[in-house]
Amino acid sequence: MSSTSVYPTPINAFKQSKRSVLSVIVDNEPGILARIVGLFSGRGYNIEALNVTVVDVKKNLSRITIETLGEEKVISQIIAQLEKLVPVHSATNLANLSESYEAEICLIKIEFENDEQDQKILNFADIYRSRTVQKRQNIVVYEISGTSERINKFLDDLDTIGGIKVELVRSGPIGLGI
Amino acid sequence: MANENEFTGADILLKALKDQEVDTIFGYPGGAVLPIYDAIFGQNFLKHVLVRQEAGAVHAAEGYARSSGKVGVLLVTSGPGVTNVVTGLTDALMDSIPIVCISGQVPSHLIGTDAFQECDTTGITRPCTKHNYLVKDVSKLSETIHEAFKIASSGRPGPVLIDIPKDVQFAKSKYISKKDISFREHRIKAGSKKVDKNFVEELVNHIKKSERPIFYVGGGCLNSGHEASQELIKLVNKTNIPITTTLHGLGCFPGEDKSSLGMLGMHGNYEANLAMNKCDLMINVGARFDDRVTGRLDAFSPDSIKFHIDIDQSSINKNVKVNFHTNTDIALTLKEINSFIDSNSIDFGDKDYNNWWGQINEWRKKECLHYEQGDEVIKPQHAISRLYELTKQKDTFVTTEVGQHQMWAAQYYKFSKPNRWITSGGLGTMGFGMPAAVGAQMANPDSLVIDIAGEASFLMNIQEIATAVQYKLPIKIFILNNEYMGMVRQWQELLHGSRYSESYVDALPDFKKLAESFNAVGVRAKNISELDDTINEMISVDRPVIADIWVDKKENCFPMIPSGAAHHEMLLSKYDKENPENQEKGKVLV
Repeated sequence: MSSTSVYPTPINAFKQSKRSVLSVIVDNEPGILARIVGLFSGRGYNIEALNVTVVDVKKNLSRITIETLGEEKVISQIIAQLEKLVPVHSATNLANLSESYEAEICLIKIEFENDEQDQKILNFADIYRSRTVQKRQNIVVYEISGTSERINKFLDDLDTIGGIKVELVRSGPIGLGI
Repeated sequence: MANENEFTGADILLKALKDQEVDTIFGYPGGAVLPIYDAIFGQNFLKHVLVRQEAGAVHAAEGYARSSGKVGVLLVTSGPGVTNVVTGLTDALMDSIPIVCISGQVPSHLIGTDAFQECDTTGITRPCTKHNYLVKDVSKLSETIHEAFKIASSGRPGPVLIDIPKDVQFAKSKYISKKDISFREHRIKAGSKKVDKNFVEELVNHIKKSERPIFYVGGGCLNSGHEASQELIKLVNKTNIPITTTLHGLGCFPGEDKSSLGMLGMHGNYEANLAMNKCDLMINVGARFDDRVTGRLDAFSPDSIKFHIDIDQSSINKNVKVNFHTNTDIALTLKEINSFIDSNSIDFGDKDYNNWWGQINEWRKKECLHYEQGDEVIKPQHAISRLYELTKQKDTFVTTEVGQHQMWAAQYYKFSKPNRWITSGGLGTMGFGMPAAVGAQMANPDSLVIDIAGEASFLMNIQEIATAVQYKLPIKIFILNNEYMGMVRQWQELLHGSRYSESYVDALPDFKKLAESFNAVGVRAKNISELDDTINEMISVDRPVIADIWVDKKENCFPMIPSGAAHHEMLLSKYDKENPENQEKGKVLV
């Protein structure tokens, strides 16, 4: 796992800050997200990205994936604090597992003006194996998934094409221990 | 068709409280809890104590819980009723006190409409409770209440709130009793019941090797129960290791025992803080390395191997990195340490730490708690010392407010048993002591309950005198009256050039007349010759008493580690001058 934060972050401001992806299994009940978000804001921790979805309807469980920045000591404290919350079953730092897989999904809408731009976009989309969701005259919508780092690179490359308009949404990283 | 197996939400609440063996509830009625008050009217197992403001209910529940070891329970209405208890809930969270707060909420269909006396109770109390609930379905009520009690009292205890909309109090469902509920383990977080054998062995080995060991004991020992305190006494006697306690640890180990170095920290004893600074082995039993205890972190006990026993995982390595830790209950762990020592016939007889005790006794010669009592004006330290001497033979509970008087009480009143000392440590809530005394007296009707107070703190919840009078609770409010917010003034003197900005309490009431107007008893000591008689009179009256003790207005609380200083940089008296560099650093801290 070598990808960096999805958003530009003043890394130097955080002494020995490390990006960590935390995977939290919780009872899916009202207020659980507020408890977690409140814990982060109340104790001054960072949330770089957040993803919440029910993963087990029968047992009523959700998995929350949180990307955060902090020294190792802070990350251990976050985990300990998360595990104190009543509806939390477990909180795991994926970096502490011997093996884990991480992915993110991104939808990108690009408006272009001419064929030259269209060709360049098509070229990058091909390199990054992004899937075309919709294409009209001067608008194309792609879906790209993979590590956050890969998506960052794709976006950086698109940035080199002048004069196009980009609108996008990202899921934030999700991850699983293997 | 009425089903006789079904009960209203209000009745289910009462049944659950009975099931939980609750006999006392502190509360204040209002629109959103009227169905519950109606149910209270028709029963006789539960004694309701009507407070005069909801803050009084929550502190009384805390006092009840601390002094009895049971869960304290309170009942308040929606909106302002519940916002008034936010301070107390935070206080209980910081000091790990098990309480359950029941609050009324506007009817379900009005939630979110900005209805009269509506507020987002679960939103407001989420960060200041261990857990909270909004019960929208009456069929979930029994289970929720039982889980709330379990969570409040398990692991590291704390406050739990249950918000019940008015329509749910009227709606009907079956009652499920406590014994028919199976708790889901992950939600209870009770901590491990299995003692870490490795930790025990490492600890005993390190004790054998150490030259300068110390026990550092906190409120966790108190929460682990009386057995923890008994095992601790055994272990200290066996090993001859000096012991210091935090503010909340007072009473876990007898304060007058020769092994006790007294309290440590900002206003702790010189010998306790120096011993913490110089020790080579620190055994932390249920303390959380609070900033009031550690002083400047980078100079905190630099040369020690640190062991930490704490049921709360998040207290480990939070402020101070430790070498060994265990998350098992303290009583169980200490018991295992004692039996490991016994079964392996480990004798610490030759290991008497002579040099270490010699050093500690040198520090003790500083007599850091020495004060000069003249012939006229009462020194506050002397007032507490006399109070201790004149009450120590009695079955006494002491509560306090917050400030100088609280620190003097911690320094000069000695406790020999746990749960006798009830004070607001983490949050430092002025106005805590008197309602807490009401709660402690409810739980211990035959004991002597004294609130050691300052006049400024006392004024913050003065209305609760009426509660004490109504329920004939003979609590004693022992005010060290110096007409100042003493601790604020002390900091202004030390750090802000003696500019006493707004710390003088002008227009004070005549506390004697005030007591009389509430139908309580007022007594007063203006000088040293009146002190003992006043204390004796206060104790002998079987009614609530306000004792107005006029003390030296300029006295400060020493010893003191100024904020930002380290343990070995203590100020011993007003003649000690603070290092100006520390002063600047300390100014920005709390």
